[in-house]
Amino acid sequence: MADERDPKVTQRYRELPGEEPSRELDQHILAAAHRAAGHSHAPLVTPAGRHRWYFSLAAAAVLVFAVAITLHLERQQPDPEAVSAPPAPEAPMRDAANQEAKKPEAPAPKRSPAAKAAPAEAPPPPRFTPEPPPQTSSTADAVGAASAPRASAPASRVEAENTTSRAEAARTQEVARAREAARQDAQAEKLAAARSAPAPAAGQLGTVLAQRFADTPEGELERIARLRREGRDDDADKALAEFRKRYPDYQISAEMRAKVERAVPASR
Amino acid sequence: MAESPDEQLMLAYRGGDARAFETLYTRHRTRLFRFVLRSIKVRAVAEELYQEIWMRLIEARASYSPKARFTTWLYTIAHHRLVDHWRKRGLTLVELDGEEIAGGSPDPADHAEARQALSRFAATLEGLPPLQREAFLLHEEGGLSVAEIAAATGSGEEAAKSRLRYAIAKLKAAVNDG
Repeated sequence: MADERDPKVTQRYRELPGEEPSRELDQHILAAAHRAAGHSHAPLVTPAGRHRWYFSLAAAAVLVFAVAITLHLERQQPDPEAVSAPPAPEAPMRDAANQEAKKPEAPAPKRSPAAKAAPAEAPPPPRFTPEPPPQTSSTADAVGAASAPRASAPASRVEAENTTSRAEAARTQEVARAREAARQDAQAEKLAAARSAPAPAAGQLGTVLAQRFADTPEGELERIARLRREGRDDDADKALAEFRKRYPDYQISAEMRAKVERAVPASR
Repeated sequence: MAESPDEQLMLAYRGGDARAFETLYTRHRTRLFRFVLRSIKVRAVAEELYQEIWMRLIEARASYSPKARFTTWLYTIAHHRLVDHWRKRGLTLVELDGEEIAGGSPDPADHAEARQALSRFAATLEGLPPLQREAFLLHEEGGLSVAEIAAATGSGEEAAKSRLRYAIAKLKAAVNDG
């Protein structure tokens, strides 16, 4: 940037009486600087703005979001528990399987919760589990069904179980396997898509954070301060008026006021 | 260390090196003090503000990053303190203390004309609109460029340039009149 100085003006200005701060003042300031340096710790990451707590808040929010996303992704992994987790679509499918088997004397949908409530009872044979054992309880049920712990069940119930034909079991197992296979495929595709596109997730996170910050009074003040810095005083005045309407009780710090208000001292 | 750039010294101070601050302070104390004093014109108030400016710098050391010249950062802090001061006083400036300009001791008679010219110059400087005077002092004492004045005062570059030019034109007229 070109020097705007006029030599004559500069010379005359330098002729003005020299003034210096007092030695006492110097010592006071230097002592304060030494004290501050005594417990000075360079921050791990340097905050850019003057409001350091904004930075800390943003860092904490990013951490929370990162942990939440990690947990979410982990939950979506195709482990056995996750595969057998959603029970909602299972019931209609089971009903359909039972209808397909056309066995009216076997109330399959009711039996399932009963089996959960009383695990000692022998589970119904059409308790279909996928190839990898889906759930501990389901696995136990399946093992129970395979090892046929009928001796522990009441005789009438055992008899009722026996009335379920092998043909029904075969058909319903087939349906269940097809359903599980489809669900695992869908799960695997979903997971693969989530893993192959991490950048958009991070970008969305940043956008969400930025948006949330912009919606706070502090964010609004920062925006007004930016307008002021850019010399858009009219826009800044309007924005400040709106801000005061919106947050009538908000106490603007002196430092922030200096940034957002029109800094024109009255000339004489 | 005495030859190190301001920015490096400030980074060293941020890291806990108090000696770096001493060097920085020694380098800028006189010019910053004159900037404040000639903006305020009351020594007691100027000293108070001057101290506040350095304290603010010390407090804000952790947030310092050398994106711009250290001087710009220092005088930005100074500008904010002055604006706060003016605001507290209802945006009015303190009157010029003529005795301070003229000096306490009587001058020789043959220097009377020069003394008058200097007083006239000081009065013109003091009579400048505050923003023009501030732009001039930032330029002369802080060594800030127009762009840096704009950054320090939070104004547009054109506005800063205009203020500086008006100030210099008026002071130049005062010099030529003398």
